[in-house]
Amino acid sequence: MSTARVFGLAWADYRAEARLSLCAVLGLAAVLAPLLVLFGLKFGLVTTLTERLLNDPRTRELIPIGSGRYTPAWFDELRTWPGVAFVVPRTRQIAATAELRSADGRAVIVELIPTAAGDPLLARYGVAEPGGGQLVLSQPAAEKLGAATTLDASIGRSRAGREEYAHAVLNVIGTAPLAAFDRDAAFVPLPLLEAAEDYRDGYAVPALGWPGLDKPAGARQYPGFRLYAGTLDDVAPLRAQLVARGLEVLTQADAIDNVKRLARNLDILFAAIAGLGGIGYLAAAGAASLAAVERKRRELSLLRLLGLPTRGLLLFPLAQALYTAFAGCLLALALYFGASAGLNLLFATAPGEQLCRLLPLHALAAVALTLGTVALAALAGGLRATRIEPSEGWRDV
Amino acid sequence: MAVTTVYRLRDVRRSRGTLGDTRFVLQVPALDIARGERLALVGPSGCGKSTLLDMLALVLAPDAGGELHLLNNDIGALWQLKRADALAALRARHLGYVLQTGGLLGFLDVRGNIALPGQLSGRADAAWVTRLAERLGISRHLDKHPAALSVGERQRVAIARALAHRPAVVLADEPTASLDPLSAQTVMQLFIDLAAESATTLILASHDRALVERYGLEVLAAQLAPASDGGIVSRFERTRR
Repeated sequence: MSTARVFGLAWADYRAEARLSLCAVLGLAAVLAPLLVLFGLKFGLVTTLTERLLNDPRTRELIPIGSGRYTPAWFDELRTWPGVAFVVPRTRQIAATAELRSADGRAVIVELIPTAAGDPLLARYGVAEPGGGQLVLSQPAAEKLGAATTLDASIGRSRAGREEYAHAVLNVIGTAPLAAFDRDAAFVPLPLLEAAEDYRDGYAVPALGWPGLDKPAGARQYPGFRLYAGTLDDVAPLRAQLVARGLEVLTQADAIDNVKRLARNLDILFAAIAGLGGIGYLAAAGAASLAAVERKRRELSLLRLLGLPTRGLLLFPLAQALYTAFAGCLLALALYFGASAGLNLLFATAPGEQLCRLLPLHALAAVALTLGTVALAALAGGLRATRIEPSEGWRDV
Repeated sequence: MAVTTVYRLRDVRRSRGTLGDTRFVLQVPALDIARGERLALVGPSGCGKSTLLDMLALVLAPDAGGELHLLNNDIGALWQLKRADALAALRARHLGYVLQTGGLLGFLDVRGNIALPGQLSGRADAAWVTRLAERLGISRHLDKHPAALSVGERQRVAIARALAHRPAVVLADEPTASLDPLSAQTVMQLFIDLAAESATTLILASHDRALVERYGLEVLAAQLAPASDGGIVSRFERTRR
């Protein structure tokens, strides 16, 4: 008898026992659906956290601790290091503030943050870098200044007991969101910061028409910098290189490690739960398969009597187990999609982020593992079935 | 056409029990059954007719030493070698079975039950199956499941199934014992006629000698005798030929 015919016979029996078959399908789905949801949550959570890290330029930032004396030549060298995506010098913190005033009289004192072409922090949020005479406001500063497009920046110094102010007119070309910077700040090109520093020191800035002493010749020294690595994986080696140069830097290594550790722990947790569920299901399905073969002893022995070969007897419970596996997987996946849609709706954090998600590959693996488990369980019944004697069916009074 | 020998038995034995009066030995010193013969194994309960029928049905192994052939297949050797699938293939191809209570598969409809031997032997004959169903008066039940049929109708279905793949032999174990006398006669007559029509060898076991003689079956009666060790020996031999 062909394999297809045995599957057909098994299907006829499976359909005749529709209620029991339905119970088997529900039993499988009851184990599989929660595991799928759990795996979806684990995978979704780790993916979301990793993507957030990847998408947040601050995780790639290396912040020097304390202040140093970095020359332009040093920065030229730093830019050639592998893994360096962006670096811009900082001027002295005390000199990097300005008062911004709008035409309607609103004013706020901001930190001036140096920026340049390719600034990852601005690029992440789609904000263009300011050029000469331009600035990008942080969201808190923008809120305080209203919808002004042109601002007057004033930088103060005290010379010989007198307060003096230099002014520059700057156009607002964008706002960096709160996620990028949460204090009052303005992103400006480095030359403006250098000018502010010089003015504070009492020197003249001829380019902006600011009066003062002539600045003596010599290379400028910067106390700090804004440095970003190209990828998350570049952070650690770059930090090691800087440390080797005697520089202490802060990184988000902890945050990266935490996500990696969380992913590993969730893997172990999931493996434990899936293992327990799988072993439990294997035992239950094996027992059910044995019970089914006992229940169908008369029918199976009749088939044996009529000449069904051993292979057919082995296939009969296996075919029915495969029907259960297919229907159970379909039901479990349907339940999973319902549950994950609900969870994602409930815990939606950012557009495009999914807390609970499965890749097609995961669903395929789940189906394959289920088929394997169910087939293994059915082997118990199948082997029992092959030991049924044809004589039992011959006299079934 | 040469007469085909379907069964050839020489010194076939089957013993049961080991001690004293519980020991029972079935013996068939010599028996040849030709194609188209109609035999009835007759005797009281416990005489060994079921044991012999089981051996002929290829579901019970004879004791080692004798010789049991079905259409030139050495059945004894197949049992010795535990060739269960070879025996199953022979059953599917050459044997049909009518059980005392139908022995139909509840999860298949009547059509599926009758088609089963054809599928198992790879010899489906739709025209013959239709004719069988017509002759047995079960054509209108083909789409029903056995549970929806009366006992008599189920037995007719069982007969159709036994003959569906045109087996060389049909074996029947008290085929009409569960029917009322009137339907027993009708069913038995149809059975005999259809077996004759398809030149099938018919071997049935019955406790009712009068019934089988009325339908012209050759009776093979058990001869019981006490054995030397206190057990019972039962012999089946032809009394006339």
